[in-house]
Amino acid sequence: MIRNLIAFLKEYGKSVLGLIGLGIMVFFIVSAVFAPCIAPYDPHQMHKPLEHPNSDHLLGTNDIGQDILSELIYGSRVSLFIAFFVSIVSAIIGTSLGLLSGYFERVGFFIMRIVDAFLAIPRLPLIIVIAAFMRPSIWNLIFMFIVFGWPFTARIIRSEVLSLRNRPYVDATRMLGARDFYILGRHILPNVVPLIIVQLIIEARHVILAESGLSFLGLGDPTAKSWGMVLHYAFEYPTIFISEIWKWWMLPAGLCITFTILSLTFIGYSLEELINPRLKRVTRL
Amino acid sequence: MHRITKIISYIILIISILSFNFFLPRVMPGDPLSFLTGGPAMDMPIVLDKEMRAKLLAYYGLDKPLQQQFYAYMLGILHGDLGWSVYFNAPVSEIVIGGLKWTLLLVGAATAIYMVLGILLGAISAWNRCGKRDVGLLTFVLSISSFPSFFLGMLFIILLGVNLSFFPISGAQTPFAEYSTPFEAALDAFRHLLLPAMTLVIAHIGGIYLLMRNSMLNVIGEDYILTARAKGLSERYIMHTHAMKNALLPIITMIALRAGFMISGTIFVETVFAYPGVGRLLYDAVTYRDYPLLQGAFLIITLVIITANFVADMTYAHLDPRVKHE
Repeated sequence: MIRNLIAFLKEYGKSVLGLIGLGIMVFFIVSAVFAPCIAPYDPHQMHKPLEHPNSDHLLGTNDIGQDILSELIYGSRVSLFIAFFVSIVSAIIGTSLGLLSGYFERVGFFIMRIVDAFLAIPRLPLIIVIAAFMRPSIWNLIFMFIVFGWPFTARIIRSEVLSLRNRPYVDATRMLGARDFYILGRHILPNVVPLIIVQLIIEARHVILAESGLSFLGLGDPTAKSWGMVLHYAFEYPTIFISEIWKWWMLPAGLCITFTILSLTFIGYSLEELINPRLKRVTRL
Repeated sequence: MHRITKIISYIILIISILSFNFFLPRVMPGDPLSFLTGGPAMDMPIVLDKEMRAKLLAYYGLDKPLQQQFYAYMLGILHGDLGWSVYFNAPVSEIVIGGLKWTLLLVGAATAIYMVLGILLGAISAWNRCGKRDVGLLTFVLSISSFPSFFLGMLFIILLGVNLSFFPISGAQTPFAEYSTPFEAALDAFRHLLLPAMTLVIAHIGGIYLLMRNSMLNVIGEDYILTARAKGLSERYIMHTHAMKNALLPIITMIALRAGFMISGTIFVETVFAYPGVGRLLYDAVTYRDYPLLQGAFLIITLVIITANFVADMTYAHLDPRVKHE
């Protein structure tokens, strides 16, 4: 197990894109974890509004006088927390149901009908409509992202389990009298772990994009300042496009979102390259 | 046989979307009428006296039993009646159909451009695998497609629209413009279309590029490519005639699917550029708490996406005989 992990890390380390992605992610995670130590001010504290960048406020202040740099540093907490919380819970639900539906045919049939239904519904418009009717709060958003997120993982895990289920070594274990759940946990789960991780990264990327998008449309939690929320207030400000303030208000917030997505894209791509033998053989990047 | 089950499942899906649309405002906390009069988020909620309330409830049929309401709702939809928009003070169906025209134009234009670009770049990338060109293209495409479309749109507005002032920064036509020829009108629409379409293209090109690259890498490993090489055909000829043609098959089935996906994406792009499509209507509806419009726009967007998925599903097996239904 440990040896596998080291071999895996060594392989991953060869990927330049993967390392860049990981570097960016570490940067944002550090700023999220140590936000109170790094941020110069409380993000809700009000100063003089619309100040240009100066030595007190490196990125100036917004229209109600909050320090933009502090907003962004604390914003990494909200955005990353939502992304990882959602992707981890969806991965757990999706993996369990994917394992069950791949291994047990009858259960699988029913689970897959539910999955099909979820996958056929366009999730972004649906989430927007529900969010418009509900009180906007972080937990409502998280709940909806999970409800519409797990079926993707379930589908992918299931098709992998279907191909693993009838491998000789699984048959052999079954012959030896192993119980179904033992086989699932001991022989099948370890083989789908790489897939789960890739799926987790893809989902996190999707959630960052969707959360910032919803916040941008004004459907985010007004009490929790995510990057999307900062961008929303910037966009709503009347002269944002024709004065200079976009340079330190809109641009940094957008870049935070972009670089987070970029890092997840790079990490996801490198992992996929690692576990997909066809891609691995032809490219090393 | 398989086709029939597919069609039935799509019909079930549409019915569930319609029912969802019907039940959502009714299960949400609060008074159903508050959604019609502007909702709790309005700055000045309209206060209704008892008599007016009863009148309104009767007018909207909200005093009848639920199944009768449902029946009336379904019947209304079959007649193209989606309710009355509070904000625009016009029938929702009229507004939404007007918006759909622009959304389809935008999505159509963007699809045409990003398909060609994505396929070409993907093919070039795969053909030069591991080479400088492949590495460069891959990094470049993955990077630009990481920009969220609304942020990219705002950047375009500032950098290309405001600073260069060639591109109009909002709307789909110049307001109050009078065109002497239809050509002029088309040119005006084209200029308005350019930035939003470009934004959509960049936001969506990554998926199609990676897909084409993978598909091409698959094909390159096939024996007939080796045979073609052994015959002494030129590299360029093999790439165009042998490899690309076969790699395209799985891509073509993706066009409809991706177009459906892109319609969701237009919600952000149309909002940023104030482009008068259904996506923008959805945003307006959210901002002004215009619930009938919100539901109408949602319904149209969803139906278009489901139709696109349906087309993708149906053409899937047609194009590539090797793809068999499960």
